[in-house]
Amino acid sequence: MDSIVVTGMGIICGLGCGTRAVFDALRAGKPAIGKVHHLRTSHEELPVSEVAMSNEEMIGMLRLPSDMVVTRTPLLGMVAFRQAVEQSGLTDAVRTAFVNGTTVGGMEKSEQYYLDFFEGKHTEYIAAHDCGAGTEQIGRLFGHLDAMYTISTACSSATNALITGANLIRSGKADAAIVGGTESLSKFHLNGFNSLMILDHEPCKPFDKNRNGLNLGEGAAYLVIETAERARKRGATPLCELSGYANACDAFHQTATSPDGEGPFLAMTGALNRAGLKPADIDYINAHGTGTGNNDLCESVAIKRVFGDRVPPFSSTKSFTGHTTSAAGAVEAVISILSLTNGFIPANLNFSSAIEESGLTPVTKGLSDVDLRHVMSNSFGFGGNDSSCIFSKIS
Amino acid sequence: MAVYIQSAAQITIQSPLCDDWFTSPIRREGRYFRSVEPDFKAFIDPMASRRMGRLLKRAIASAMTALEGYEVPLDAIVTGTGLGCIETTEKFLNAMLRDGEQALPPSFFMQSTHNTIGSVIAQRLKCHGYNNTFTHRGTSFDCALQDVLVQFELGDISSALVCANDEMTEAYFQLFDQIGYWKREDVTEDMFRHPATTGSFAGEVSAAFLLGGEPTERTLCRLEGMELLYEPTDERFLRCVEELLRKAGIEKTEVDAVVCGYNADPSNDEVYARRMDLYFPQTTQIYYKHLFGEGFSASAMGYYVAATCLKRGEIPAHIRYREGKSIRPKHILVYNHFQNRDHSVALLSC
Repeated sequence: MDSIVVTGMGIICGLGCGTRAVFDALRAGKPAIGKVHHLRTSHEELPVSEVAMSNEEMIGMLRLPSDMVVTRTPLLGMVAFRQAVEQSGLTDAVRTAFVNGTTVGGMEKSEQYYLDFFEGKHTEYIAAHDCGAGTEQIGRLFGHLDAMYTISTACSSATNALITGANLIRSGKADAAIVGGTESLSKFHLNGFNSLMILDHEPCKPFDKNRNGLNLGEGAAYLVIETAERARKRGATPLCELSGYANACDAFHQTATSPDGEGPFLAMTGALNRAGLKPADIDYINAHGTGTGNNDLCESVAIKRVFGDRVPPFSSTKSFTGHTTSAAGAVEAVISILSLTNGFIPANLNFSSAIEESGLTPVTKGLSDVDLRHVMSNSFGFGGNDSSCIFSKIS
Repeated sequence: MAVYIQSAAQITIQSPLCDDWFTSPIRREGRYFRSVEPDFKAFIDPMASRRMGRLLKRAIASAMTALEGYEVPLDAIVTGTGLGCIETTEKFLNAMLRDGEQALPPSFFMQSTHNTIGSVIAQRLKCHGYNNTFTHRGTSFDCALQDVLVQFELGDISSALVCANDEMTEAYFQLFDQIGYWKREDVTEDMFRHPATTGSFAGEVSAAFLLGGEPTERTLCRLEGMELLYEPTDERFLRCVEELLRKAGIEKTEVDAVVCGYNADPSNDEVYARRMDLYFPQTTQIYYKHLFGEGFSASAMGYYVAATCLKRGEIPAHIRYREGKSIRPKHILVYNHFQNRDHSVALLSC
């Protein structure tokens, strides 16, 4: 089987719009976690990572009709989608599938207008609520797509979109795929996570002994993937190889993770096996690292099971971007690829002491001029939907 | 690699967990029907049951029924759902809008994510395999089925549970009513023959299918292949069908029936009618939404109906939309589209 390569990527998150802005913020060690601005919520005490642009600004930037019925989740998606397609130079001459991960969908407007809907007001947003509605709006930016898919596995949605796209290419059902995810903040899931009491009232401290929960973020990111041969044929420049990936299920609890980290363990080992790599080959792990007591312990246990005494440098960049939930897998895939191609390991901010049970210490200061060949990215979701992928330098 | 539908189970607006619809269907006339529910006590202990929304219970009961008598370890659980557990989502949303953003019940939020269904099934089965959830409107189940088929073909899996689950709460029925998804008047079977007004009627579907790589005595049919297409031209559609038939090694004339998602809305139905007239003018057509209603998971019942007909070697009169040659069916195409945008075509054989 020909290898699958990444030929384009796009991103928008709290750190900024575009790979350049995001990478500069990571290198400067400047997180984007602060006070809520766009989202209408009474929880002003909860730090979040919002995208600076308003919906209107994004509509303007994208040159969409100003009266377009569109919610924030697909808007963020369109910004990142366009960047990815532009960089790859992909056109609809190539049989292309779009696989989009999201969970919030149009909730940002539904929660605003829900009661109005029943009185016949703002009803144009009713059909914009479900996850697939936004996928279609984003996908229609691209000439003609062969097929569209929407995936919703909570916080691993975007990674599972990547995996689905890769399988479509391997099986010949698509020649290229645009894969990733998008998620805007919503009052619904901010309050949902708050009701579970897993939101930190301070900037999150992934992998720290005194971690106190996560900060929610929003954003979108997409990758264009295709076979190396297809990329070569159309003269596209591969950024890296998607060498491995795996999806597994913790099958333990709806919101808690297993003590032995079985799901994350299977995801990481599955990705290594598919890539034909040994644990020692991984040079950096962009961890899921949400900052919750549960996740970080479980992930640490699983990392130790996979890597033993030789745990590679790892960090959670959610300390910069917040947890962008359904987009996180793609946001962090882009960050992983930026790490790989720039030889830079971003910091895990706000860390001071290791979790006692694991003793693992993440990278706490950005490291430049590192020779990275293989980078692993982890995404674990509610319900134990755990997925990992590996990006490798073109050999 | 061949892929077989080993078993299937449904909880819909027909009698649940059985195939009474095949011989003595419940004839529906109206705008909105909820599923006929089985006794869940056989599947879920009452303590756990109290904490679950009804869609979750239906999902578990249909999945467990499809798996009954099979000891095979499952390599994958893939779910299609347009809206997930919307009843629980509404409960959380209503609580937030009514009581403000304080002291909200976490259990409603926990069940509101779309992947709740697939993950609860995985927890019950202790299945650590591949687990994914597709939420792509009226082709959610089709996406899920194709995801599984692709992995069979790649040799990544050799067994899978594929589910479709959507409920239609009263609130959501009203919302969709606001935007013309449903007819204003009671829907009768005659309207499927002569669609005049826009809209369909609402039903609910929970369906589960066990797929495997080796046929058994109970096997319903083989899934030869399928394709998903976005806004295909006639030419692209035809090419796709021909490719499916070519791979299966059969001629177009050997297709015994095509299952279509006629739902009594002219804008929906004319897409099927036109393509059938163009490419399958003499072939028997099967319809099923008059029995099961419309909804994001409705297409799953198209596969269910086709698989049942193949297993029983018969297409009962009450699901024949257009008569063609009347023989024991061996090859059935299942054609589904959502708003003439997302299309899917699958070939099932016995």
